[in-house]
Amino acid sequence: MLDLFQLVLQIAVILVAARLVGFLFQKIHQPQVMGEMVAGILLGPSLLGWLAPGVSAALFPPASLSYLNALSQVGLVVFMFVVGLALNPSDLRGYGHAAVLTSHVSIVAPFCLGGLTALYLYPRLSDDGVTFTGFALFMGAAMSITAFPVLARILTERGLLRSRMGTMAIACAAVDDVTGWCILAYIVVLVRVTHAARPAWVTIAGSLAYVLIMVFVVRRILPAFEREFRKRNRLSDNLVAVIVVLVLVSALATEWLGIHLLFGAFLMGAIMPKTPEFTHYLLHKFESVTVVLLLPLFFAFTGLRTRIGVGGGRAIWFYSAIVIVVAITGKLGGSMFAARLAGMPWREAASLGILMNTRGLMELVILNIGLDIGVISPAMFSIMVLMALVTTFMTTPLLEWVYPTRLLRAQMDEVHKNVA
Amino acid sequence: MVKNNLVAAYLLLVGVPVLGLLGILEAGRAIAAPLSIGGEWAIESDPTANCANPPGSLQRQLAWSISQSGTAALITLHDGYGTTLEATIDGSTLTAKSPGGTIAATITGKLGKRTMEGKISLVGCVPAAFRAVRQAPGKRG
Repeated sequence: MLDLFQLVLQIAVILVAARLVGFLFQKIHQPQVMGEMVAGILLGPSLLGWLAPGVSAALFPPASLSYLNALSQVGLVVFMFVVGLALNPSDLRGYGHAAVLTSHVSIVAPFCLGGLTALYLYPRLSDDGVTFTGFALFMGAAMSITAFPVLARILTERGLLRSRMGTMAIACAAVDDVTGWCILAYIVVLVRVTHAARPAWVTIAGSLAYVLIMVFVVRRILPAFEREFRKRNRLSDNLVAVIVVLVLVSALATEWLGIHLLFGAFLMGAIMPKTPEFTHYLLHKFESVTVVLLLPLFFAFTGLRTRIGVGGGRAIWFYSAIVIVVAITGKLGGSMFAARLAGMPWREAASLGILMNTRGLMELVILNIGLDIGVISPAMFSIMVLMALVTTFMTTPLLEWVYPTRLLRAQMDEVHKNVA
Repeated sequence: MVKNNLVAAYLLLVGVPVLGLLGILEAGRAIAAPLSIGGEWAIESDPTANCANPPGSLQRQLAWSISQSGTAALITLHDGYGTTLEATIDGSTLTAKSPGGTIAATITGKLGKRTMEGKISLVGCVPAAFRAVRQAPGKRG
């Protein structure tokens, strides 16, 4: 039964922790979201549950977590809509073969290394309830993801968004995001079909029909919202509510088809009209509540499922080290090598690799899906969460080391002089 | 020329690894993973029946839940105290040792109908034979 006092107390504690740790992380030049992710981990068994098990049990009793989970899932649905909304197909145009090569290598290299690592980890951290194919493909997808929103934020903060490397990074991350989600959808179908009562052909044919309807029917209706926005420079509350309902219906359709709620929300965002004013307006409308209130709940829920260093002994730390090294080698190394091969100078190629290595929040989203459908074990989940934290944390200092701000400013000034 | 080089690089850096991935997936099929035991289990005999200090009788259920990560597992007894035992799986043998007690059992049955038979010894209880049946593969986490 819902204990409202408990739930509100949990939300209050989570928000305070998220803002506090986020603030501290900003002080050390880390993105706010990095601090919020860490705050979630600190509230879970990895720290609070370890230091003060009594407090942890009283604050987050297992029976109460389903409500927290439900709220965080609603937040994720809206967040995935926002991610899809921020994705602009025009980012992908005009970068030619170099961008295609770099983005595809930045997916394939970590994907293959993830599959190779699965050969070692499958008999140690999985079980016969999961096929090797499902486990290896999931490992590959989780290794190859890039946190598009975090990457865009870092580029904006450093004034790199309009640089050659910045635009290339955005283009590659957009390709990675779409490809990653398609692969993940396939894995979810693969895993769920073996346990679902619904025949596989219903899921596959239904998913295809759903995508076609969204792209060729719904997408043509959506510009009506944009026209209405242009007339009044705003949307009425009723129209915003209609957009929310469309997002929810799309999410429900993909959940019913056996893929996942989040794919529907993401696709709805991706097919929305992309004029900058309209996108900015919708992002502003949806982002605040999601980022300030609902996402910290998701981080906390993730943290409560994560047991870094709890149980498993030294072996778990060894597996963690392997996963982190493989993830960095595949993503950072693969992207950097491909960008250099495509003609980028070493410094820019290395910076691109560092940016592509940012996994952040998107990794946590994917890992939670993996844990929910049972394709990864709790220990594997914790290891991958640790990898997500390490790869996100290292981005800003490494980028500053490889491409210092003073050097960047000098180069930007040089470009502006030449243009003038 | 540059375009040709990029095509060659694409084939080398994307095509070859994809073929490698197919090889990995094929090789992985031969790898055996530990038996899956995660989820909720019903115990067909009561291992706490002969305890000096029976666990809270109102909350007592003949069940436990298992959280599994490869060869390691955490068994949580539904005994009113939330007694946990850390277990390891070696082939079809499960061994659990914790301050709360010990379990030695053999895992049998196919994935969908997994059972466990063995001996459980909880602190303050007479060691007892038990048979447990998995209700459903557990949702993890």
